[in-house]
Amino acid sequence: MATIEQNLKPRRFDLARPSRQHLLGYILLAPAVILVALIIIYPLFISVDLSFQNVKLARIGSARKAFTLANYEKLFASPDFWLACWVTVKMVTAVTIGSLLVGVSTALLVNNKFRGRTLARLVMALPWAVPEIIAVVMFAWIFDSTFGLISWLIWKIGLTTELIAWVSTPGPAFWAITVTMIWKGFPFVSIMTLAGLQSIPDDFYAAAKVDGANALQRFRWITLPCLMPVLGVTLVLVMLWVFRDFSIIKTMTDGGPLKSTTTLSIMTYEQAFGFFKFGYASAVGVVTLIICVVASLAMLGRGSKAMY
Amino acid sequence: MAKISIENVHKDYGDFTALHPFSLEIQDGEFVVLVGPSGCGKSTMLKILAGLEPATGGQIRLDDRDVTDLAPGDRDIAMVFQNYALYPHLTVRQNIGFGLKMRKVSSNQIARKVEEAAKTLGVSHLLDRKPKALSGGQRQRVALGRAIVREPQAFLMDEPLSNLDAKLRVHMRAEISALHNRIGVTTVYVTHDQIEAMTMADRVVLMRDGVIQQIADPDTLFQKPVNLFAAGFIGSPGMNLLSAAFDGAMIEMFGKQVPVNIQENAQLGGVIAGLRPEHLELGDGPVTFQVRPSLVESLGSEKYVYFHDEAHHIVRSGDAEEENDKGLIARVSHTGHLSENENLTLSFDPANLYLFDAETERAL
Amino acid sequence: MNRTPLQSILLYGTVIFAATIILFPIFWLFNTALSTTVELTQLPPSFWPEEAQWQIFTKVWNDRPIPLWLWNSTITAVGSVILSMTVSVLAGYSLSRFSPRGSHGMGLFILTAKMLPATLLVIPLFAIFRSIGLIGSLWTLIIAHSTLIVPFTTWMLKGYFDTIPRELEQAAMVDGCSPLGAMFRVIMPVSMPGLAATALYSFVLSWADYAYARTFLVNSQGNWTANMGITTMRGEYVTDWNEIAAAAVFVAIPIMVIYLFLERYLVGGLTAGAEK
Repeated sequence: MATIEQNLKPRRFDLARPSRQHLLGYILLAPAVILVALIIIYPLFISVDLSFQNVKLARIGSARKAFTLANYEKLFASPDFWLACWVTVKMVTAVTIGSLLVGVSTALLVNNKFRGRTLARLVMALPWAVPEIIAVVMFAWIFDSTFGLISWLIWKIGLTTELIAWVSTPGPAFWAITVTMIWKGFPFVSIMTLAGLQSIPDDFYAAAKVDGANALQRFRWITLPCLMPVLGVTLVLVMLWVFRDFSIIKTMTDGGPLKSTTTLSIMTYEQAFGFFKFGYASAVGVVTLIICVVASLAMLGRGSKAMY
Repeated sequence: MAKISIENVHKDYGDFTALHPFSLEIQDGEFVVLVGPSGCGKSTMLKILAGLEPATGGQIRLDDRDVTDLAPGDRDIAMVFQNYALYPHLTVRQNIGFGLKMRKVSSNQIARKVEEAAKTLGVSHLLDRKPKALSGGQRQRVALGRAIVREPQAFLMDEPLSNLDAKLRVHMRAEISALHNRIGVTTVYVTHDQIEAMTMADRVVLMRDGVIQQIADPDTLFQKPVNLFAAGFIGSPGMNLLSAAFDGAMIEMFGKQVPVNIQENAQLGGVIAGLRPEHLELGDGPVTFQVRPSLVESLGSEKYVYFHDEAHHIVRSGDAEEENDKGLIARVSHTGHLSENENLTLSFDPANLYLFDAETERAL
Repeated sequence: MNRTPLQSILLYGTVIFAATIILFPIFWLFNTALSTTVELTQLPPSFWPEEAQWQIFTKVWNDRPIPLWLWNSTITAVGSVILSMTVSVLAGYSLSRFSPRGSHGMGLFILTAKMLPATLLVIPLFAIFRSIGLIGSLWTLIIAHSTLIVPFTTWMLKGYFDTIPRELEQAAMVDGCSPLGAMFRVIMPVSMPGLAATALYSFVLSWADYAYARTFLVNSQGNWTANMGITTMRGEYVTDWNEIAAAAVFVAIPIMVIYLFLERYLVGGLTAGAEK
């Protein structure tokens, strides 16, 4: 008995019907699934496929070469591979620890209430906004062997007797990259830690104070435990970022000198586009991925849901 | 305005049955309340009525029109939500008029209808504001406005008062009832609050764990609960329930023999006796006994007297476990001081007793 | 909070100290850009040029194909954002509103996608694009960047949509909308802040890519993105550091401006995406 003129056009395929409502979920998911299947899953399969072939320059559609384990055998026997592993581990450890220290400290700092706090927060996270290539430009110049600031500073302070050729000496090159990465990486840790800190209810601290805990005890028994989950996830994400990084290392040292900064990621690329050994390169890449997955899951265990 | 016919509607989630076959005939213009504790299936039923969830089986008819698998927008119903669900990016005016706009009503008509609805609910002065600038009560009124403006055949309300503070809740309760008296649209109202059910409903549907316990008007529900759950759920404070031995003609309560009239054969399972707190009185009466109160709460002219009785096992059906420890409650009219831990005389009339089979929990 | 004057000094002092160290490289970049070559090739390094050489910016802008590079980066980023956002908004909404059946699988996938080194994926993608004949076109980048973006943005958006109550769509449907209608008329307008932040984040991710650009565009100078262009400015033996610094400023500015807009939403977006 409607008194208003209502024009509801009858829909043919009516997704609004209760029995059909859930279909929309699948329809909306379809584009993503298709895209992902095409550009991530399919290429991933190709990669794995290539790793089992003796392929130089791959071409889709050409006849598949014979299945061979040669790439993997060569891989595990190659000293370059193990060196790359070692370099990767070193770099991951150094950058992760560095970013964690700087990131958590800055977050703790900025968590206090003071005037100019918003500005400080903005500043603290600014390196995140700088593209990696630009960061390389900055630090390559600062670490320049002849005229760079750091070289001169260290020489002036008296730590060295002559100017260090940062980029062309194995040891210093590693640290130049590490410093650059920490500078780029810590803001992420800072932001995540800050979010974690701010989610700790004030009541916890109030209760602790009433119970007589001092600042250090409050940090140890309240702040740290509450922060653990966040830090865990953040740690793994930073780790993965270092593992995967290409831009910084490639443009700063190109994996040199003498492969002292060649991580697994760089090695993968080199083999593919430097030496045009797609099969071998894919094998390196696949192994890198497996290491990543295993390491992340090991670190997070059942908490892996938090990583989504 | 229409009658709603629900036939054997049930809802399963895999192995779990959220709603057992549910049948109900709602008359044109009736105000029916679905009430029960959380998880009893009342909201599920409402969502199925609205078309927001598909039923696993059964049929729903609106005025003899089969709407079981019809889109929510095609059922000619309106819904009011617990969280109001006002569109944050639209003004109050646009919020109220949204449904009309979707139905391609002319903008002149929309404007007129919106003004009318706003006036009915007293929100005319808020028409150009956005929801975030409104108080809880105002938002609820706008939500009601959005519902009435389309003049639908039925209203569905999902715990609309739960988010309001106590005083506002009482006020809005009266407003909704008044609105219903004025407009007279068939309404299905869901709540967990038995007071709302009792004060607003023409008929109450009491539910528990997906099963209808009793369908009755409020008075009948209060006076003749059909099982233990219904007896315990309705009324505040809840009914006192104790197990009592039955010897064929008498049951024993508080150390006294009380004559009862039980038609059915209940000897096998034992009996549970129910006594509402307000039916206990101070002083002597048909059945008198002494107690020592463990706690006395004073509400001014009334007192709640809490006492224990070791001889009887106190029964609580449902989820009110915490109330169990407090023991039995008597609600007495008394001004002045009643002290705890001093003997007190209470009495009751056996005619006010409710009796239930201990096994089946049904009324005797 | 009551602080003693000493605590205040310590706090402000530490903050200023930290900020200085953090901002230093950025400052140094400007310093380098504005210095003359003479000043740059002498020790000790000067902390600010005697005469700031502002004309270096116009020089670099005119001499080098910087406008072209910026243009290419922009088109690629805009293209990637459109592609990725379309896909991930729909997917994120679906994951938020509809059954968890796909949720766990999607979650696992996203986990793996975050671990994929670009250097692995670039190999097969190169082979694929080569077979299609797309190598050298910016389309390769637009498509390839989605591999970087979609895993993150889908989850960010899901987290964001989770914060919008389902009752809104239900009310819209009772009012007469179809489920799609409810999504576009009600949920999308309400989600604007989250959508904008995610889009900006996607832009940043696309702009930052180097691996794909370098691989797919190496032979197509006309299509070089900013990142590629800058790296070529480093000469084999000699680099005009003031020029490259000036170019670097051009490339960094758009992103830093976006960051200023984004900062507010950053925490929410990143944590919604990474923490649940």
